[in-house]
Amino acid sequence: MKKGFQVPILAGLSAAMFIVFGVVSPAHAYLDPGAGSLILQGIIAGVAAAGVAVKIYWHRLLSIMGFRKDDDSDKN
Amino acid sequence: MIPEAPIKSPVQVSEASFRDPSGFIFTHDNTLYRQVNTCYRDAYQSLVSSGLYDWLVGKSMLIPHEAVDGPVADEGCAWRIIRPEPVPFISYPYEWCFSQLKDAALLTLDIQLAAVEHGMCLKDASAYNIQFHNGRPVMIDTLSFETYTEGAPWMAYRQFCQHFLAPLALMAKTDIRLNKLLSAYIDGVPLGLASTLLPRTTWFKAGLFMHLHLHAITQKKYAANTPSETGKTEKTRHISKTGYTGIVESLRKTVQKLDWQPGGTEWGDYYNDTNYSEAAFEEKKALVKQFLAQAHPAQVWDLGANTGIFSRIAAKMGIPTISCDIDPAAVEMNYRQVRQQQETLLLPLLIDLTNPSPGLGWDGRERDAFCRRGPVDCIMALALIHHLSIANNVSFDKAARFFHNLCSHLIIEFIPREDSQVRRLLSHRADIFQAYDRGHFEAAFSGYFKIKESKQIRHSDRTLYLMQAREQ
Repeated sequence: MKKGFQVPILAGLSAAMFIVFGVVSPAHAYLDPGAGSLILQGIIAGVAAAGVAVKIYWHRLLSIMGFRKDDDSDKN
Repeated sequence: MIPEAPIKSPVQVSEASFRDPSGFIFTHDNTLYRQVNTCYRDAYQSLVSSGLYDWLVGKSMLIPHEAVDGPVADEGCAWRIIRPEPVPFISYPYEWCFSQLKDAALLTLDIQLAAVEHGMCLKDASAYNIQFHNGRPVMIDTLSFETYTEGAPWMAYRQFCQHFLAPLALMAKTDIRLNKLLSAYIDGVPLGLASTLLPRTTWFKAGLFMHLHLHAITQKKYAANTPSETGKTEKTRHISKTGYTGIVESLRKTVQKLDWQPGGTEWGDYYNDTNYSEAAFEEKKALVKQFLAQAHPAQVWDLGANTGIFSRIAAKMGIPTISCDIDPAAVEMNYRQVRQQQETLLLPLLIDLTNPSPGLGWDGRERDAFCRRGPVDCIMALALIHHLSIANNVSFDKAARFFHNLCSHLIIEFIPREDSQVRRLLSHRADIFQAYDRGHFEAAFSGYFKIKESKQIRHSDRTLYLMQAREQ
């Protein structure tokens, strides 16, 4: 199981509102996903993706500065 | 594949299996089948070819099935017939304790994460797709999977929040009894309602804030949007795979953090608060075992089971046993023991016998009433009759008729009015129960059952009966 994203979610939410997303049609399904739920997923997914990116760069930075071995960053 | 000359026999399509056009459940000659429709062929083949089916079945997360030649329920749209491993007793989320619902939620999310790794995803996340089988939750809907498309949202996100997260949060943070909201709302607890009922402190918990409160706000804000010319209310945003799995992992973390500890409810500490001695308790256990051996039932329902001490006597004799109680704490403790001891024959359920689960959903037949899931070979009603007759004013005749409709053997304990448990029930009310005595009890039950054995439990004033239903 992957580790959950650890960014400060509440702080990131407002910033994520301004992330520009592409347009993709939803998969065919019999459920109504709900318009509000789709929009919220865009926001949360943006935060999650940003969090992962921040984490990767943070670990790389630590690695460059010699505080962490490369192997450690790979684990994350 | 469909045989050239399919078997022409009457089939009975499940009343609970109509929402998803991918296929449906039906029975034929008392065997359960699932028809896979032509429109689901590609997804079914991907489920198998991706390795996801074998992976999930290997971990006992998905019910196994085998493809069979027939019978066919609807030839017009059939592509394949599969025969799933049968689940002996179907239960519903409003009958589960906190940890049962939580385990079902975590299983759903773990399946979704595994599916994404195999290039698939769950197209629905209904709590009704999970059943307890061999002591643990398992997904029973083989047709819930579709191919994952990079950039697409999770179509079942709202359903997961309504079916699992909202009731779990309400049980943990507001009141444990709020799982019963699931019986009032067939598609899960409306998020606006959950948001209103949850304490304000939950606004400061990231997961609950995002997936419930903010979710309720966005739902309300965009619910009334009118469709554009393309028929879409909003452009669906591209969701990266990292973001997609991030949502599921965030949900998992949120569910994992929710906790409820049993204690202090109605009967949770009943066994520490009884008036009879250890010797009487052991005597009662021995008698129950003896009566079960005499009745030799294929399955048992223990009604008013508390934490399941007597249910375990049946289960240890190899008898599949449903262990029902009204108290969420007792059922919670019972289930935790099932999980800890890896007991495979015991299913604890939260059932109020004075108001058992009714038929629910479309036409009142989508979810079976509790009593319609019978009859059963044997019912145990230990230390129960005084609750029915005195606390709920049910006459002995009505009680006997109720049991007679449900079972062929009855192991029932009579608690006399001198017993401290009866005195406690009568302590704050007028005693209008002049007919509450052993003579009236035996007379009423003899109308419906043949009393095969009756033994006084030594060191107590209670009597245990083994009865056999009369033909009516």
